Amino acid sequence: MTPKTPSPARPKTSGVPTVSIRTFITPRDSTRLAPRDFTRVIGTVGAIIVSTLVLVAIFAPLIAPYDPSIRAGAPFSPPSAEHLLGTNDVGQDILSELIFGTRVSLMVGVVAASAAMLIGTTIGLVGGYFPRVGGIIMRGVDVVLVLPFLPLLIVLSTYLGRSVLNTILVIAFLIWAPTARVIRSQVLSLSRRDYVTAARSMNAGDGYIIRRHVLPRTFLLAIGEFVAATSAAILLESSLSFLGLGDPLQKSWGSVLYWAQARGAFLTPAWQWWVLPPGVLIMLAALGFALLGYALEQKINPRLRRA
Amino acid sequence: MANFGQEGNITPHTYETATGYNLLGLVYDSLLQIDEDGVPQPWLAEELTISDDGLTYTMPIRDDAVWHDGEPLTAEDVAFSFDYYQNGPPGRFRTAVSAVESATADSDTVTVQLTQPAASFELRTLAEVPILPEHIWSSIPAPDEAPFDDSTNVGSGPYRLVESDPGTSYMFEMNPDYFAGTPTVEEIRVIQFANDAGAVAALRSGEVDMITRSVTPEQIPVLNSQEGLSVLEGPEYVTTLLVFDTQKEPFSNVAVRQAMDLATDRELLVSDVYLGAAIPGNAGWVHPESPFFDESVETTFDVDAANALLDDAGITDSDGDGVRELDGEPLEVELLAVSSNALRMRIAELLASQYAEIGMNIEVASLDQEAFDQLTWPEYDVALGRNYDMAVFGWSAPTQADIGQMGALVDSDPTLGNLNIMGYVSDEADALAAELRTESDPDARAAVADELQALIAEELPLITLLYPNGLYGHSPAAFDGWTSITGQGPINKLSFIPADARP
Repeated sequence: MTPKTPSPARPKTSGVPTVSIRTFITPRDSTRLAPRDFTRVIGTVGAIIVSTLVLVAIFAPLIAPYDPSIRAGAPFSPPSAEHLLGTNDVGQDILSELIFGTRVSLMVGVVAASAAMLIGTTIGLVGGYFPRVGGIIMRGVDVVLVLPFLPLLIVLSTYLGRSVLNTILVIAFLIWAPTARVIRSQVLSLSRRDYVTAARSMNAGDGYIIRRHVLPRTFLLAIGEFVAATSAAILLESSLSFLGLGDPLQKSWGSVLYWAQARGAFLTPAWQWWVLPPGVLIMLAALGFALLGYALEQKINPRLRRA
Repeated sequence: MANFGQEGNITPHTYETATGYNLLGLVYDSLLQIDEDGVPQPWLAEELTISDDGLTYTMPIRDDAVWHDGEPLTAEDVAFSFDYYQNGPPGRFRTAVSAVESATADSDTVTVQLTQPAASFELRTLAEVPILPEHIWSSIPAPDEAPFDDSTNVGSGPYRLVESDPGTSYMFEMNPDYFAGTPTVEEIRVIQFANDAGAVAALRSGEVDMITRSVTPEQIPVLNSQEGLSVLEGPEYVTTLLVFDTQKEPFSNVAVRQAMDLATDRELLVSDVYLGAAIPGNAGWVHPESPFFDESVETTFDVDAANALLDDAGITDSDGDGVRELDGEPLEVELLAVSSNALRMRIAELLASQYAEIGMNIEVASLDQEAFDQLTWPEYDVALGRNYDMAVFGWSAPTQADIGQMGALVDSDPTLGNLNIMGYVSDEADALAAELRTESDPDARAAVADELQALIAEELPLITLLYPNGLYGHSPAAFDGWTSITGQGPINKLSFIPADARP
């Protein structure tokens, strides 16, 4: 499983500040404009999907027809007027489960991605601003980058036990590395700009330079990375929950799938209303965040941005 | 046939699960064989004479039994087997022969001397312990590490295990010289699947004709709706229980246990989680199909009575938060369930909502099997104590098939009460358990069993929730000779020998 968004132009290697050279390259011909417009459409679609899901999560108690933790009908009922997506193995309304599940799935995705962002940005800042230390840290990042994702995820979550917090920690631990790389290359280039050198020559401290000159210009980049990481985190949360390694008693899209699998819905006609909808939701959420992340990246990432 | 779950080589020393034990019965014989009602009948032993003091068992061995390699099965083999298990590694059969002082062979007769009377000796030892060929095993000191091949894989049963590849498949070939008649099926191949979904898919596609383990209830309509398949459903002595640490508050308070029992809607658990394919639990532990079931023991569901009981015991909700307090401590407990068992997790969820009705705040926690066992039953030795509040637990069929095991459930001595994971201590229960172990008169023993059931229903060292039925998917067109032993399912040698040869 490869992580998240299409990221066509991740900085290749560290060390050489390439940005200053590119400044002299003239913009290419106007055909470059077409994909940029397309980017806007992609971004809008992503934003619509994401904001819809966020609204659903916020207003779940108002939208959901039933309390997902109570027995709302006979177990294993097919879809009907009362239960649009039928009921699960203990008679809980599947539609309500999915609506409330949006909360956990989005929450885990966002919190895990934020944590990953925090780790990634810090490491990237330190690694980029202090190149010598960075050289060593980045080898560590390389190790995390090449770790086989899902197997490690399974091992870690089995070892740590089942809870939402552990799920978040494990996911955050696994997805911060690409961010650290992107941030670091940006910081590397920023910290060798003329104005930074000028500030340094006037005896400005590292803390001041990072706060005043480096952080503001990396922050946008981090936001783009964050949105993309959320998409990855949602997918990972669903995989974990589906495998029964999350907390199966917490309603999320993945755990709805877990119960569908545990109670044989994959082998019966029930897959149409018990397996397909959570699958579609997971796909939608991942897609929404990925599209949004792609659009933001196109706008923000200096390597992708064209004048 | 399709099997799923972990399993080792099918030998008396290396099988791993109840299914492995059932399959073992195709390859080996014991002195007695239980009939369809679970009652031991003469098998390798032609008859059984017990001395008046209950210490000496005399059994002439039938002369037409032959090992798979052609050697005759003799009284020496029987005496050797007792001795061999006693000196072998720990396990079910070593436990079974622990009461044996000596086993001696005199021409064709075996005499077994016990150290003390054991009421369950026929059922738990004579009808369970597989007899081994002396000429094979006498030269092997460590049976559980012995190589598994044609030379060691010799039994006397209706089938010979010709291929064994744990995790993949097993192949049984019929033994045409079997003393009880020619087996009804020539070859049995058991294919191993990862889980029941795989096994069910294989049955539906016609790849296999039978599933050796009980499937989950939601598969019943799936299998029944397919032409040519059906589900053998029958009561089993398997239990699903709610256990708690009775030495710890609030469960050390009998009123709390009684209120929980009253507040347990067993019918709902059966209808919603098991879709009807289970029998509601009897507060007195014993399965209603068991000959020892005491009908006078009542199991009641009455939430109001439960609340009244707690009110009377002074366990009230004094701060109005919906949770009662006992000695100032709110009734907040953790209920453990094994995450790989979907049905038990659902039961835990339902129980939490049922006990909320009587002012208990229950948090359900799912754990993997290993962590669960470590908390409830560390190293499978109750002497090591326990570290949990409440758990959804279960025992397998043998704990109900032998009524003597009811003593092991409640005895406070860890070696005698080796199933007492609740840490239950009661002199009355200990006395009844001791009687159950030694009383050999059947009527007197049944009376003791009744008393103990009444005590369990009153004192509630555990709450018996339900007894899941056995659900065996099969294809009647391929084979329809399945013979279930009450409470223990259809995988046994009775299913594969001619009807007139069954005990």
